[in-house]
Amino acid sequence: MGLLTGLRDSISRAAASLFSEQDPKRIGIYGPPNAGKTTLANRIARDWTEHGDAVGPESHIPHETRRARRKENVEIERNGKSVSIDIVDTPGVTTKVDYTEFLDHDMDKEDAVRRSREATEGVAEAMHWLREDVDGVIYVLDSAEDPFTQVNTMLIGIIESQDLPVLIFANKIDLEESSVKRIRNAFPQHETVPLSALEGDNMDEVYGKIAEYFG
Amino acid sequence: MPHQCTSCGHVFEDGSKEMLSGCPDCGGTKFQFHPEGADIPERPPGDVDPPDRPEPDDSVAGAVGNAAATVRDLVGGTSTGNGGVSPTENPPVSGNEGVSTGNKGDRSIATESENVGGVALDDGGSTPADTSADRSQGTSAGGFENTSDGESENAAQASARSDVVSRDELPDSPAESPDSDRDNGTVVQEPDEADRPDLSELREELNDQFESIKVVEPGQYELNLMELYDREEYIIALQEDGKYSIQVPDRWQD
Repeated sequence: MGLLTGLRDSISRAAASLFSEQDPKRIGIYGPPNAGKTTLANRIARDWTEHGDAVGPESHIPHETRRARRKENVEIERNGKSVSIDIVDTPGVTTKVDYTEFLDHDMDKEDAVRRSREATEGVAEAMHWLREDVDGVIYVLDSAEDPFTQVNTMLIGIIESQDLPVLIFANKIDLEESSVKRIRNAFPQHETVPLSALEGDNMDEVYGKIAEYFG
Repeated sequence: MPHQCTSCGHVFEDGSKEMLSGCPDCGGTKFQFHPEGADIPERPPGDVDPPDRPEPDDSVAGAVGNAAATVRDLVGGTSTGNGGVSPTENPPVSGNEGVSTGNKGDRSIATESENVGGVALDDGGSTPADTSADRSQGTSAGGFENTSDGESENAAQASARSDVVSRDELPDSPAESPDSDRDNGTVVQEPDEADRPDLSELREELNDQFESIKVVEPGQYELNLMELYDREEYIIALQEDGKYSIQVPDRWQD
């Protein structure tokens, strides 16, 4: 069964890559909660889509994004070349969700429990998408936080095993405690791009790398 | 010896990067982690069991499981803040098979615990066998010695036996059988009781590991990312009682 499934998966992947000329690549934005995934998705959408609609609401409260949201046909132009991608903003992946951490953010218990449940469903959804529906991954990390966590290493491991192209984005370089080097050291096998999605710092390089990796 | 190749037995240092690209001796990609001072690998005396497990699981899941296992060990060694993830921390390599199919995992829990039970019985059986052999030599002197031994432990049984056994059957030296029975009866119970907490702990650990989402209490969840990633069906809604709604892949409906 596992073998059959694997075979089917690889066939569908091969078929997908055959048609890659026509279909935009689906790029999943993954990472732990509060890394700035939605902020990044919104900035990309704002910079490259006609109406500049936001992909989703941004918040400093973890697990604001609890359902994967997609922005289709985002055309990014680099060096005279145009790259079309679908951006999938995913809920932050974590191994524990606890409603009590939301209570500090002026939320009553009922709302906190609901948020917690939705966040958990969101993580399940994100993991499911990673398995079936993503052609490449932008892995967003808060560069002010320690990148060497179990979630990060496990997710990067899964992405690697799927042979998906991956870019690591060291976000929040506008923060004083930010350390891009720490992220580079944690994942030396991958390209790390520093940026501040909030401030729009280094976005030129960000778009260049996206075009280069996923085009 | 923290890591051992399950096919050829090559041992790697803790945190060794060598094995990330496969075993240099045999090319194996499955490694067992032996935590220092852990009693789990010591329990099955025939330690051959885990190395015997190289399964033809070449699926992505298997590969990921291995990667995750090694990564997990690395991470575990440096003890990052996410230490509370009990499901993934426990059994490193053997978890792979459980991850591939949830149901199978449940079954392996059962067999695992049976095995452990079997081992306990064997251990229990071997010691009393020796003592009963010693005693059987002693019994040639007379059955009373036995009964007096027995009285100290179980007066009612001993007296019942002394009545029946001593008259007819003792001369043919069948004293062994009631004796060894009694020994088995007493000795086996001890490890059994001693093993109980271990068994339940083991079961809990395994349950933890095979569960995709554990509802600690409403609003508090622990997630097994590997399991969530590995399952074909897709969990779309959680309910408070720990049940969840799933969406099955299209191909299941064919």
